[in-house]
Amino acid sequence: MDRRFFLKSIGAAAALAATAPSTGQAAKRNPSLRYLRPPGALAEEDFETRCIRCGQCGEVCPNRCINYFGLQNGLASLDTPYIIPRDQACILCMKCGEVCPTDAIEKVERKLEPILQKVRMGKARVDENLCLSFQGKTCGVCYRACPLQDVAITVGRLEQPHVTDQCVGCGLCERSCIQLPHAIRIIPDYG
Amino acid sequence: MNAVTQKPFILWKHLNKLRWVTLVSVFVMLILIPYLHIYQTFIAAHAYDLLLADEKRLYDVMENITSPFVSDPEEQLDAIKGNTWSGTFWGFQMSDPLAVVGQISASLKLYWPFILTALVPFFLTAIFGRFFCGWICPATLIYELNTNLGALLRKAGLHIGNKRYDRRLKYGVLLLGTIIAALTGSAVFAGIYPPAVLGREIYYAIALGGFGSGAVFFLMTLLFDLLVARRGFCRYLCPGGALYSLIGRYRLVRIKRVVEDCNDCAKCSSICEFGLDPLRDNFGQECNNCSACIAICPTDAMTFYISPKDLAYQGPGHIGPKYRHGRAKSDSPASASQHLREQGVEHAST
Repeated sequence: MDRRFFLKSIGAAAALAATAPSTGQAAKRNPSLRYLRPPGALAEEDFETRCIRCGQCGEVCPNRCINYFGLQNGLASLDTPYIIPRDQACILCMKCGEVCPTDAIEKVERKLEPILQKVRMGKARVDENLCLSFQGKTCGVCYRACPLQDVAITVGRLEQPHVTDQCVGCGLCERSCIQLPHAIRIIPDYG
Repeated sequence: MNAVTQKPFILWKHLNKLRWVTLVSVFVMLILIPYLHIYQTFIAAHAYDLLLADEKRLYDVMENITSPFVSDPEEQLDAIKGNTWSGTFWGFQMSDPLAVVGQISASLKLYWPFILTALVPFFLTAIFGRFFCGWICPATLIYELNTNLGALLRKAGLHIGNKRYDRRLKYGVLLLGTIIAALTGSAVFAGIYPPAVLGREIYYAIALGGFGSGAVFFLMTLLFDLLVARRGFCRYLCPGGALYSLIGRYRLVRIKRVVEDCNDCAKCSSICEFGLDPLRDNFGQECNNCSACIAICPTDAMTFYISPKDLAYQGPGHIGPKYRHGRAKSDSPASASQHLREQGVEHAST
């Protein structure tokens, strides 16, 4: 009886294993979700295989911007960390990379050069039809919120923001934009 | 020569209490760490005056707890982070060996900085066997309380499941998990391994405002244990337990039955959470040295010893009725009774 049960369950398990890859593919990324990975994260595929879901990145984040996926983005990214910049953006403190045991989030020194080189969460993009500064009302909030002022974002006439190629996508501009819907948003870079 | 046997070291009998203290303190840490993290974020935000009344209370309590130990909580409290799945202690990272196995099979690459974090747990497991399961695992605390609840319910007259399956099932789960992880490239074990799930879910519940999907899984394992098989998940399904059993197969620290003091009461076999059979010297690779059998033994006939192998069946206990009447035909196999006869002769000659 025991042996039969054992063999049966091995058989059932093998069947499950055979179907697993297809379900894994089917449950791939949800296109309607716009999220960022923590700063220094590997490219999406690598990140999902490297991350062991220990949750330490969230536990050290002093800004509480790191949240964890349930099933909304597919089984492959269950319990992986993500950031929704409009809710709470990354302050580039780089503690999550320091604590990550698998270096799914790479260790990046908290200095300008390494951050510019290694962090690519995404790039900010300005919607000029929504941005107040482009409508003649001087605003400049995104410029003031940016931790990489004059490197990642510059302002022109009437404090009209211009995002440069150096933007790492921390999302503080999107977090602070006073327009609704927000006139500046991060286009994620999943690598 | 006098045949008085040496009594086991007196403290072994109380080791089970220490085990409960360890289990509870690990669990308390798992609850405390998320609260400490929230406290740190409050400090980082410099916003005490803007906190709600509840948050202020939390801040004050955490400040009182931590102020004797740290002067700069925002930085210094980062010293202890994580859970039993993977944690950081003053910069030293330790991970569960199962996390390493799962991660290697998911990425199909050897990433050494991470593999080395499992080195200390690996060697401890090689020496002490499956000790994690009995001494540290936060799920064990809940599962053992669950077993006690089951015993209460049974006393109240309810039918509690006590099915037995093949213990080798969990090696199948381990194998299957590595195969699925290799095929899908995601860490399967993190989702089906109770201590990892529990550590995460406690953090979610406290710091992120609610339980995640893992809580459903954990509740289901609890119900399985309660209604189908006592301690069923750990015994038959847990991939971590399977891995530790394999690593600790030739463990050095073992429990043995002192046959001269044993009276065949079989309390050890009924207390054993993993369904092993200490009464028949049947510990095997799955014993987790939890010492519950030592604690319950009424004649102090259980003790620790150092050996890479278990003793063979020693026959019925010498102060039990079976041995004293010199007849052990009914339930012991022929070889065992042969063994017993040899021992009996030996005993008579001394």
